[in-house]
Amino acid sequence: MIRILVLIIFGFLFVFTGRFLQAQSPTDLVEQCANEASENATYLKDFVVKLAEAKPGSKHPIARYPLILSKNNVYRFSVCTTEQSEGKAVIRLYDSNHLIFSSYDEDTQEEFNPFNFLCRKTGIYHVFISFIDGKPGEAVGILSYVTK
Amino acid sequence: MIQKTIFFLLLYAVISSCHSRKGKLAQADLDVIDSLELAANLQVSEEAIDEIIQSVSSPVEMAALIKEIGTPFSMDYLATTDYVDRYNTSSQMAFSLGIFGADLGYLNIYKNNVQIVDYLMAINQLANGIRVGHFFDFVRLNQLATSREGIDSLMYISVSSFNNIDSYLRENNRGHLSALMITGVWIECLYLATRVASETSNPLLNERIGEQKLNLHNLLLILNPYKDQKPIADLLTQLDEVKEVFDQVEITYEIGVPETVEKNGMVMILQNEKSIVKLTDEQLQKIINKTEEVRNKLIAI
Repeated sequence: MIRILVLIIFGFLFVFTGRFLQAQSPTDLVEQCANEASENATYLKDFVVKLAEAKPGSKHPIARYPLILSKNNVYRFSVCTTEQSEGKAVIRLYDSNHLIFSSYDEDTQEEFNPFNFLCRKTGIYHVFISFIDGKPGEAVGILSYVTK
Repeated sequence: MIQKTIFFLLLYAVISSCHSRKGKLAQADLDVIDSLELAANLQVSEEAIDEIIQSVSSPVEMAALIKEIGTPFSMDYLATTDYVDRYNTSSQMAFSLGIFGADLGYLNIYKNNVQIVDYLMAINQLANGIRVGHFFDFVRLNQLATSREGIDSLMYISVSSFNNIDSYLRENNRGHLSALMITGVWIECLYLATRVASETSNPLLNERIGEQKLNLHNLLLILNPYKDQKPIADLLTQLDEVKEVFDQVEITYEIGVPETVEKNGMVMILQNEKSIVKLTDEQLQKIINKTEEVRNKLIAI
């Protein structure tokens, strides 16, 4: 009888707490990440990323997003990794095929998240988001407009 | 026996509780009757169209520039919400959603809480019309609009809702409506900029207007696959007239190497490669006139 009661109690605990202990999804993270980046900046776009682990010998998976950036604007690029993500996200800004900046310096292992970009050439750029060492992960990148 | 029964009931309860939270889109009704028939074969890949649509600038940027050059707020620049009821096809609604979305960006930037509510109601009506109303929490938006402290959150929710609508339409085989919405945003932003430019001479604004040549080029690519549909064919005809005046605008580039500095405790990359817009006063006046003509024609019922 006691065993039955214990089973019932644990069962109810699983049923009800299961509804509250949700893993943090990238979508949940968008608003939080946008708020974190919002000091003197206005949210423009978000990039929700979920990448699998890199296969041995293969290139690290990357999510790529095109953007049009306008001259004379200062943009802020930031990235937030979900709590349960194994990998740590990196956001990079490219102009055509040229890397402009990365939020993570692989040589020094320094992080520069967020970083600002003063655009002087209107055109198409690309944001790349990946995870350090090709680990799997979920993250959100945020593009904001830095107000003057 | 009783123990086994209880065990299996509990096991069932545990399994049924371990569901991942579905996004609010999972149960969305996808049965929408559109006024447009989708083109059977798109000539530009959908991936390419997706990329182009994703890349289009936010209306917030143009509104922010208008404010930063010292332009006073004016309701005269905005489309009226009086005739929202008359937009009754999905193409009209999607395009107008873009128009009012751009106007909402302008109102947000100027923190005009009073007028924002009117535009939110219009947007609510149009969004419901094309079955994307579930992306707007209008109760929350109205609360934020009437609260002085809520303006930043209002801006965030407005912008992210439009971003989500755009993604949803594209992912659910309604990319033509996304393209129309984006076009509405662009034409209204250009109209706002040209109205200000007609009253105030500012080189930054004029340059930004000239640069719209790039956005227009992309818009035509996005819309072209749907040119078999009359509303989009009509829109393309109008935009071709705008393109003709932009064709004269010259954009050149100077190469430069970026610098990295630290400002206010944050890394800032200064780009030294530059774009230079050559736009004469005559060309600018043609753009102003043509934009006004086309925009007013497109929003007329």
